[in-house]
Amino acid sequence: MTTAARKPFNWRRWRLVVTGGTIVGTIMLLAILAPWVAPYSPFDLNVAQMLKGPSAAHLLGTDELGRDVLSRVIHAARLSMMVAVLASLVGLVFGTLIGTLAAYFGGIVDLVLMRLMEILFSFPAILLAIVLMASLGTSIFNAMIAIGIIFIPGFARLARATAESVLRQQYVEQARAIGMSHTRILVREILPNILAPLLVEAAVAFSYAVLLESALSFLGLGAQPPDPSWGNMLNTGRGFMGVAPWLSIVPGAAIFLTVLGFNMLGDGLRDAFDPQLRDE
Amino acid sequence: MRGLILSRLAAFALTLIVASSILFVAVNVVPGSAARSALGIDATPQALARFEAQHGLDRPLVVQYAEWLGKTFTGDFGKSFQNGVDVGPELLRRLPVTLELAIFAFIIANLIALPLGAFAAMRHQRAADKGISLLASLLGAVPNFWLATLLVMVLTLHFRLLPPGGYTPFTVNPVMNLKQMIMPALSLGIVSSALLIRIMRTAMIEVLSSDYIRTARAKGAKEGIVVMRHAIRNAMTPYVNVAAVEFGFLFGSVVVIEDIFLLPGIGSFVLVGIINRDYPVLLASALTITLVVLIINLIVDIVVGRLDPRRVTRHQ
Repeated sequence: MTTAARKPFNWRRWRLVVTGGTIVGTIMLLAILAPWVAPYSPFDLNVAQMLKGPSAAHLLGTDELGRDVLSRVIHAARLSMMVAVLASLVGLVFGTLIGTLAAYFGGIVDLVLMRLMEILFSFPAILLAIVLMASLGTSIFNAMIAIGIIFIPGFARLARATAESVLRQQYVEQARAIGMSHTRILVREILPNILAPLLVEAAVAFSYAVLLESALSFLGLGAQPPDPSWGNMLNTGRGFMGVAPWLSIVPGAAIFLTVLGFNMLGDGLRDAFDPQLRDE
Repeated sequence: MRGLILSRLAAFALTLIVASSILFVAVNVVPGSAARSALGIDATPQALARFEAQHGLDRPLVVQYAEWLGKTFTGDFGKSFQNGVDVGPELLRRLPVTLELAIFAFIIANLIALPLGAFAAMRHQRAADKGISLLASLLGAVPNFWLATLLVMVLTLHFRLLPPGGYTPFTVNPVMNLKQMIMPALSLGIVSSALLIRIMRTAMIEVLSSDYIRTARAKGAKEGIVVMRHAIRNAMTPYVNVAAVEFGFLFGSVVVIEDIFLLPGIGSFVLVGIINRDYPVLLASALTITLVVLIINLIVDIVVGRLDPRRVTRHQ
């Protein structure tokens, strides 16, 4: 640790993290500050300004109801980030719980839990999300739950693998030997030591959540109009593709940039913390 | 080998049963909604009750599930709530559309990934490698429905080269069929190629740095022969494994693309089922997609077991 600290900052190693982090940070900031940075309200109709191309007054043009596209894209970031964070959290919490319990108790618990996870994993993700939305009903909250459920097996697998290596450590043996309770060992000894890789995985889950949420909203199963979401904006925009191409280009570009940012951040963190690549 | 296949088949059957029950529960989580949706919001309670009794929706979920599973196994997918048409024959009509789309997209993905991935590996750490790796990251972040929209904008609206959507069977008019399929297949295939480029590149880098490649080079073999005869062949084992799983993924993600291009495949059938809350349609189409994905994964498991002798001995 001390030798690493003395090394000069390794730009090559952190370049992905910095680039991805900057993109993600900017989008997060825009999402949080949306009501203050967006030039207009995302809901204000202005029929006189319908389908106007990009101009000084409306940097990214206006939509079929005369609403400011830039403001709607910024507000949609809010929704996307919220879904991404909460869905990843659902996956992280339940996945970690299942994976850790499977590793800790082993035997039949491990077998049943992980087999179930395998099966959930073998579902095509978007299909499972769509089916869940059908029964839960179309709303952004349900989209979040559906996406979160899809993430559970991935986190469970990772948590189990990491927890197994932690379980072999001496301090866990010692905790058991002095008669610590299961809960205490799991929470105090195991959880803190498996969290880092799970959080890296969460960055990747984020990007996938953004994609899934926009796909669901695109199909009309996620955010409902007039609430702006990149997916439903893109879907409406397709109807005006010939006269107002910016309505289709802008929201798609927003999804693309966000996913790219999270992917870079996730890949970068994974590489940066991978001991095999550390001294490259 | 036989032990491996048997154990895989058993796992497959178990997976299928659990997967089907997950689907069934997911669809039926909210009770009573099917009748309301089929009959409209003005339906009287009596009409709703009659609809539920007629379709057996008033019975316990377990009983409904057992009956559905039993019928499904005999190929009876039930009748659509909406129009009373048999779901099974409709599925069979739609399956070839989705298969064609997925296969077409898969071919495109491989045509992009194999040469680019191999070339990047041969130029490891040089400009071409960095360019191709960057391209792969960019492609991996493109939502396929956005790419689809952009393709329509450029190829249909601007250049007027391709029809915006629709479907003509290959047997009726092959040229029209291909014209209608190319944009949906490109939208899925280009995005899928991102992962495959990375896999091919990594696999080739690994192989190119191995001892037998060094030996082949030391013996004076020409670089072309080293790459073609030794490297690519050996890089194919890990590649085929991932590519096959990716094919399953492709098959599972056709819903949005079929919707955009008005293709009457299984994916758009799923949406029909959802919009009409037509449970037999939704269940049958979702199960078909899951089944195809599971079969692909099963084949991958067994074939990879064959390719790699170490795995076989471990399972015996």
